[in-house]
Amino acid sequence: MKMLVVYQKLGLHRFLGHLDLQRAMQRALRRSGLPVCYSQGFNPHLLLSFAAPLSVGIQGEREVMELPLGEPVAEQDFLRRLNAALPEGLKALQARLLGDDAAPAMARLEAAVYTIVPREAAPELLAAVPGFLAQTAIPCLRKTKSGERMDDLRPLVYNLLVKQGALHAVLAISERGTARPDQLLASLAAFAGVAPPRCAITRAALLDGRMAPLEDP
Amino acid sequence: MDQDMNRRLEALLETVQRPARYTGGEVNAIQKDWAGRTTFCFAFPDTYEVAMSHLGMKVLYEAVNREDDLLCERAMMPWVDLLEGLKREGIPLFSLESRKALSDFDAVGFTLQYEMSYTNILTMLELGGVALRGAERGEEAPFVIAGGPCAFNPEPLAPFIDAFLLGDGETATSEMLRVIGGGRRQGLKREDILRKLAGVAGVYVPALYEPSYHEDGTLAAFTPLVPEAKMPVRKRMELDLDAAAFPEKTPLPFTEAVHDRIVLEIMRGCTRGCRFCQAGMLYRPVRERSPEKLLELAKGLFAATGYEEMSLSSLSTGDYSRLLELIGSLNACFQDSRVSLSLPSLRIDNQLQEALTDTAKVKKSGLTLAPEAGSQRLRDVINKGVTEEDLLRSVTEAFENGWSNVKLYFMIGLPTETDEDLLGIADLAKKVVACYFALPREKRAKGLKVVVSASTFVPKPFTPFQWAAQDRLEEIRRKQGLLRNALNIRGVTFNWHDPETSFLEACFARGGRELSPVLLRAYELGCRLDGWSEHFNFQAWLQAFSDAGVDPAFIAHRAREKDERFPWDFVDIGVTRGYLWLENERALRGQTTPDCREGCGHCGLRRFEGVCPE
Repeated sequence: MKMLVVYQKLGLHRFLGHLDLQRAMQRALRRSGLPVCYSQGFNPHLLLSFAAPLSVGIQGEREVMELPLGEPVAEQDFLRRLNAALPEGLKALQARLLGDDAAPAMARLEAAVYTIVPREAAPELLAAVPGFLAQTAIPCLRKTKSGERMDDLRPLVYNLLVKQGALHAVLAISERGTARPDQLLASLAAFAGVAPPRCAITRAALLDGRMAPLEDP
Repeated sequence: MDQDMNRRLEALLETVQRPARYTGGEVNAIQKDWAGRTTFCFAFPDTYEVAMSHLGMKVLYEAVNREDDLLCERAMMPWVDLLEGLKREGIPLFSLESRKALSDFDAVGFTLQYEMSYTNILTMLELGGVALRGAERGEEAPFVIAGGPCAFNPEPLAPFIDAFLLGDGETATSEMLRVIGGGRRQGLKREDILRKLAGVAGVYVPALYEPSYHEDGTLAAFTPLVPEAKMPVRKRMELDLDAAAFPEKTPLPFTEAVHDRIVLEIMRGCTRGCRFCQAGMLYRPVRERSPEKLLELAKGLFAATGYEEMSLSSLSTGDYSRLLELIGSLNACFQDSRVSLSLPSLRIDNQLQEALTDTAKVKKSGLTLAPEAGSQRLRDVINKGVTEEDLLRSVTEAFENGWSNVKLYFMIGLPTETDEDLLGIADLAKKVVACYFALPREKRAKGLKVVVSASTFVPKPFTPFQWAAQDRLEEIRRKQGLLRNALNIRGVTFNWHDPETSFLEACFARGGRELSPVLLRAYELGCRLDGWSEHFNFQAWLQAFSDAGVDPAFIAHRAREKDERFPWDFVDIGVTRGYLWLENERALRGQTTPDCREGCGHCGLRRFEGVCPE
């Protein structure tokens, strides 16, 4: 059996990189005394997988990780023991016991919801959204290992709304293509003819192919 | 820090590399209320990754925070991006716990681990809003204190540090803080508090002593100015390590530290008497923690951190009297929770095979050996009691046990060294390679890797070589070239260090107060983070020496007369100057001195009752 865990990465913990977060979670699980599993081999590591890495500086409200368990633990019990070992900013919010045959969260992931709040008012940027979305293609420079290439961002932007001075975006995040919020911002700012503003970015949810929360399979 | 500053700091953090270094809030970090407490900021003069690898900081952080009337927070040297940002924004250098400026604390304490961190101290003081010179600090300013190995020759830092602690800090730090905090509450003047500090055992207050000099710049006299100023200043010692404070819940860094693991200090001090080794003299006598205490500490530290790795720390782990028992009980206790045990700086003579077999159960890291010199003659000069036979037996055993990585550490520029001694390093490396290939292919692990590292010898105070000259830079470069050619061997990699850093270390290790203007000038010329090669600016340092009118060669490259008065002579480390001179003479005759457990060598420590085991 395995446990799917929804957790947050808020406040100062937004400054953790993915590797930092991975290490922090693994160590918290080890402190908790929960029945975790380890890989075989000479340098055994704790088995834990994350649905989607989150960049340094971005907050997460409902992030998802999964781990196999060596013996059954009640969901509420699991939550209580893990949270006793976690700092408030990384609190676990929900635990769901799944069968071994449940598809991995990473494979089910299709999109993510982002809230992007400019730190200073950016009326031109927000006003440009309808025109931006009306484009048939949105060229976007992407850095790869072998250099740079132009990608089309348009099919990866599932939705983009302006609400109370903030951007709400649903962006693709899967093997077939991923759009990052900083790419969206850069493209939108270029379209609006302004410099990309500094923003507070939060990933509010991870979604599966039905556009339903990943934690409700 | 007010709200506006906090907001600007957080905006700044979004623009710098690895911001998690600056946020604090780690698991096990301690934040106490400031009201009614004496406040201490432990300032580590290097970056977070280095600081959080340092056991001493964790020890003192917990030792001070355990006291109800005291509190300890941490501050580190920011990386250049944040450093520039703080200056630009006018934000003072702050503590991680409550984001207070260094200037808000009652005391700020630096640990002096290596000389090349000294410009970072000036950087942190200025950025923290504290006047650089003690004489310029007002009644409100924090007391700046310092300790650690380099504090045993504190003179180059004399104008910048109000009080130095010489020796073990577990109890002395809190004593110093109570003198400072108590004095402030009584409304004593800064001057009077300094005099009281000078009365604490192990504490040296430089402003209360006056040096005078001969015409050639060497020290003529060193005079205490007030009755509280002791002469000599005797180091502090924690004689019972089981009773001494040891951290039980170390702050767990979010972003990886250089050494990110449980560290158990199993023993302090070393009885070997290697003649180049300052730590070996400074930290006498040898004191062990019991395996029972260590197991208890290890269990607690694992429960508090969840670390994956544990290492045993001491100057000579192989000499710990109950090593096998300790390794056995740690392995048994931590097998299920997958904590691997690593054993650094194992000497190559005793009990090695058993230890290797035991650790191999958990993790195979490389084997590190430190013969230090390439010939038996020179190993006798430095009293490194290890023979070629010992060494080759050890590596063969290691290869037989499935290890294929060996690191060999050497020094170049040792007293009396000849080219023949240097070529001995290459011979030794060849023989190590031959030991590997002498084993049948199916019995050895694949991928032989022998790394030979050669550092440059730095003569240090309180060693038998404190009278010795350091080789000039050209000579070191010539010797490195010689070795580079000789070590062009399949399977062997040769690493060497820039001699410029070692040259500056030699200056600051044995210099006196005349070096403080050099340090200040180098700082003004932009030197900081000198321990990071990408920021080290040797030309600026040479400029600083020249501007201050100090000849560095006179400090680094000059052999001293027997009776020359040294800047650090006022410190009593236990081992006497007479013994060090005797050892110096024996060294030059190539005569070895046995480990003091095999018979007292009369180093001077027995002058203190109950310090040495009979």
